[in-house]
Amino acid sequence: MADVAAMPARRRGRGNTAALPGWVGKAARLIVSIAVTLFGLMALTFFIGRMLPLDPVAAILGDNATQEAYEAMQRQLGLDQPLYIQFAHYVYDIARLDFGTALTTGKPVLDDIGRVFPATIELATVGILIGTGLGIPLGVLAAAYRDTAIDYFVRVFGLLGYSTPNFWLGLMGLVLFYATLGWVEGPGRIDTAYQWDIEPVTDLLLLDTAMAGQWDIFRNAFGHIILPASILGFGAMAYISRMTRSFMLEQLAQEYVIAARVKGLSWGRTVWVHAFRNVAVQVVTVVALAYAFLLEGAVLTETVFAWPGFGRYLTNALLGGDMNAVVGCTLVVGIIFVGLNLLSDLLYRVFDPRTR
Amino acid sequence: MTDRCDRRWRLTLTLLAGAALAGPAQAATPRNALVMAWNIDAISTFDPAQIGEVVTSELIQNTCDALASFDPKDEARVVPALAERWEVAEDGRQITFHLRDKLVFPSGNPGTAQDLAWSMQRVVKLGFGNAATLTEYGFSKANVEQMISAPDERTLVMKLDKPYPTNLILQAIAANRVATMQDRKTLMANEVNGDLGNKYLATHTACVGPYRLRQWNSGESVVLEANENHWAGAPKLRRVIIRHVAEAGTQRLLLEKGDVDVARDLTPEDMQAIEKMPGITLARTLKPQLVYWGFNNAHPAFAQEKVRLAMRYLIDYEALGKTVMAYNGVPRASFVQLGAFGALDAKEGQPFSLDLARARQLLSEAGYPDGFEAGMIFSTLPYAAPIAQHIQANAAKVGVRLKLEQMANAQLFARHRGREFETVIAAWQTSIPDAQGNASRLIANPDNRAEAKLTQFPSWRHSFQSESANRIAAEALLERDEEKRAALYHQLQRDMMQSGPTAIMFQTVHLAGVRTSLKNWTWHGFGSYYDMAYKE
Amino acid sequence: MPAATSLGAWLRAPVPASPFQARMQAFWLGWRRLRRNPPALIGAAMLLVLIAVAAFAPLIATHDIYAQDLMARLQPPSAVHWLGTDDLGRDIFSRLVFGARITLYIAFLAALIAAPLGLVIGATAGYLGGWTDTVLMRLVDIFLSFPSLILALAFVAALGPGIENAIIAISLAAWPPIARLARAETLTVRQSDYIAAVRLQGASRLRIIVHHVMPMCIPSVVVRITLNMAAIILTAAGLGFLGLGAQPPSPEWGAMLSTGRQFVMTSWWIAAIPGTAILLTSLAFNLFGDGLRDVLDPRHG
Repeated sequence: MADVAAMPARRRGRGNTAALPGWVGKAARLIVSIAVTLFGLMALTFFIGRMLPLDPVAAILGDNATQEAYEAMQRQLGLDQPLYIQFAHYVYDIARLDFGTALTTGKPVLDDIGRVFPATIELATVGILIGTGLGIPLGVLAAAYRDTAIDYFVRVFGLLGYSTPNFWLGLMGLVLFYATLGWVEGPGRIDTAYQWDIEPVTDLLLLDTAMAGQWDIFRNAFGHIILPASILGFGAMAYISRMTRSFMLEQLAQEYVIAARVKGLSWGRTVWVHAFRNVAVQVVTVVALAYAFLLEGAVLTETVFAWPGFGRYLTNALLGGDMNAVVGCTLVVGIIFVGLNLLSDLLYRVFDPRTR
Repeated sequence: MTDRCDRRWRLTLTLLAGAALAGPAQAATPRNALVMAWNIDAISTFDPAQIGEVVTSELIQNTCDALASFDPKDEARVVPALAERWEVAEDGRQITFHLRDKLVFPSGNPGTAQDLAWSMQRVVKLGFGNAATLTEYGFSKANVEQMISAPDERTLVMKLDKPYPTNLILQAIAANRVATMQDRKTLMANEVNGDLGNKYLATHTACVGPYRLRQWNSGESVVLEANENHWAGAPKLRRVIIRHVAEAGTQRLLLEKGDVDVARDLTPEDMQAIEKMPGITLARTLKPQLVYWGFNNAHPAFAQEKVRLAMRYLIDYEALGKTVMAYNGVPRASFVQLGAFGALDAKEGQPFSLDLARARQLLSEAGYPDGFEAGMIFSTLPYAAPIAQHIQANAAKVGVRLKLEQMANAQLFARHRGREFETVIAAWQTSIPDAQGNASRLIANPDNRAEAKLTQFPSWRHSFQSESANRIAAEALLERDEEKRAALYHQLQRDMMQSGPTAIMFQTVHLAGVRTSLKNWTWHGFGSYYDMAYKE
Repeated sequence: MPAATSLGAWLRAPVPASPFQARMQAFWLGWRRLRRNPPALIGAAMLLVLIAVAAFAPLIATHDIYAQDLMARLQPPSAVHWLGTDDLGRDIFSRLVFGARITLYIAFLAALIAAPLGLVIGATAGYLGGWTDTVLMRLVDIFLSFPSLILALAFVAALGPGIENAIIAISLAAWPPIARLARAETLTVRQSDYIAAVRLQGASRLRIIVHHVMPMCIPSVVVRITLNMAAIILTAAGLGFLGLGAQPPSPEWGAMLSTGRQFVMTSWWIAAIPGTAILLTSLAFNLFGDGLRDVLDPRHG
């Protein structure tokens, strides 16, 4: 599971950094800071890539190649040059959005990632919808009825979400709901029979089929996605309900809540309308972060569900000894994370009444 | 009993006893397509000069015809393919192939003998692993243009440096992917940095065959489309769809539900369950692949014949053969696979059994009464981990302490090729049904020096060189009397079971679960024939 | 019982007479708060059971965990094999019991590496400020830019599979949030009067950080690391699941689950049992950590 609890602490830490006067200074500082982080990301991924004991040359040439062919390929890949030159090439290539060619697919890594990403986006989006749809009401309820059975139930249910190995849950889910009960469809995004009937527009199958009015295919795709998405959503739900609860508790301790009660407002109205409105922004930032963490959950879930997305691409690359793809994926995840963190910070700063 | 009751009863049974059962809905695959679930991770290119994996070999075989082909019904027999007939010169040093008429590439270009000669020369010039298939028989970058030539559009002449047995050359070269006909014009139009179209072929096929590659999404699927104008007639199933499914359990589910016609990577347990299921049959055929426990002969202990022999007595061939390898392998200690020319029969080719006392005695004689320590590397293949642990447990009983390390295939290759291991569990597949195939690689080692870097020879990787074995292998290769030739190989196998560099353990079996709606699934150790399958 | 009474009185004395008594009183108060938190108590109890199982594994296990019996493989739970046998005919119950040792070993060792590392880096950055702070926190930012599983995967791929490498990889992925937390705590402590007093007495920076700043950060770090242990266990299991963690024949739970994956359709219990063990252990750490937070760090209630 992700390091979710780190986030509020992090925000507290930020408050101290001396701010330059004016938004220009702030923006410049931000850009420099992003640039430094990106450079660090590249250094780290390069370092990991060079440390990998996988032999990219053997991976290309196979088990049967002669030493002569081996050395020629090594030269061709530039692996015979000093490390700092290799790093310079690496940075230069990435700046040109060239992440190299994936050894396992023979295609540019970035193309591969672009191709597999829609599947992950679709899975993560359905997952986050489930997680948010359950997590927010549960969190609010738990706060409103603090220390009651409801509260305990929500907290323990949430902790279960934190504690379950999602790849295991997926495996067990497949045995039960697919193999035994037949309630859901099996691994993969869609039945083979339908695979060629879809006109890809967004590459999000649910959206594409709904727009084309192919409801039978939509139903099939939904049957495939619902189990892995629920399992991912379970983890997101745990995080969202927990954070929502804690935000709400803070609000419910405020004086205006007591004032509202004194004025005769119902408890439900006080909680849902007044208190919740004040935490909505915080909750949105939490949802954004939870979405990012679904990427992590997807790595193993996709492996179990044969879901042709980013996570499975990464594990395949890892197990197949595809150095370029491993490094490329790690870097892309890093960039997405930096972006989403930034977005969540921005949301917080722009919309939160207290920081404005 | 009603269906509902029945299902509830089944659920209980499943939860209690763990029997997995098919769900209610039966999906169906398209009627004009063959849908297969297979772990196709290994695909990285479709260039016949470069491929070596089982998956790509099979795909190339179904997309690119070679000069000749293995008879679908009898793998030891070679039948015409691109060449409709051939003649062998008196002295056995020249073969003339006469090609069929009207061979057409997918691009519409006509396929000629010049294309074929160029394709074969290309394999040698590119120098990937498959070049060895030709260089082994005397072809080289320098001479290949003289040795393989096309005097006219329908004639290909192949000269040989030595009078090799004709059948061996037909098996090793004419029926091999190195003798496929590539579309020279298309490849040269897409050449990058003098790669002779290697980059283009990473994602395309450009040859004459029953199918052609329509689409490949790595880690997802491969789609082949029928060649309606194929010389042997259009295949009955218009499409072949291969879905990448890594999990055996998932493959089984898909097969049971009818989402696929064929599942290629089932576990023995799945096989056992599937065998009894209506609507599904098991297809099995022996592969020319041997799983072995290899020893680095540079290690002081493994340098000794007696230690290597002792290790063979630590393997419970019988028990492993009945459990872990029950469906996907047969015990085999000889380096020549069953079904090959010159192979010892099943009984004589596997004389070992678990015998700890004998192992202990041999170790004492070799000067290791208290055993020793060694590492063992193995891959992520499903059978590798149980076999490794089985050997480890037995070895511990005679004082040999093995430290296990599992790793990705690519990493294992690197360690194995670099001689950076003490023992390894690996597999080796030969491309010909003849003892020569393995004798030349697993046993013979032309140059054992580290700087020779004969990394394509497992014998070199194991730092093993035996002059007498080298001599027998060389002699057998040029022996024109078939009986004498077989006798030489028999002798070599007997010797090597006692003193060879590796403990050969199993010959693997190709396994597939096939739905009965798919008819005439045809395969053997040297190919699968998609174009022969059909549905009613 | 006079002794108990006097102990009780000692613990409840309004003004502690010695630092030791003060500390004991704090523990006493914490214990009383913890006692009112049933989930935390359940978590603590589960952990105690787990630790006991790990400690007395040789007594509890019914079979040799390495003893193979190919003829009795993949058996369902029975009187002889309480939780059945695996693919080599080894007793799953015994392996599960010994596996508890490995799980605790990974969790505690990773915590023991990550917590001090994070604490030192965070406290140093927070106290010294300026360039040190900028550089260290940038480093933390970079590490935090990756989800911990992906970072651990990449590291373990680089270091090679194995339990020690898995622990190192997990620790490398786990220290940054702790550093961030320790820095935040340090920033609040730094301005306090007593630090100023120590500084005026001429204490060196090193001394101040080690003796006066770091101890103040410890409670929140302990809470974090306890909660983190749940995540560490899941990450370790994930690595084992992919074959990158403990190597065979180790009875590591993730590796056992990975074996079970092959047989999930025929012998589901092989995967179900270690998975349940992972879930319960992780849950125990979460429950206990949650309660501990309520006790030591009431702000997060």
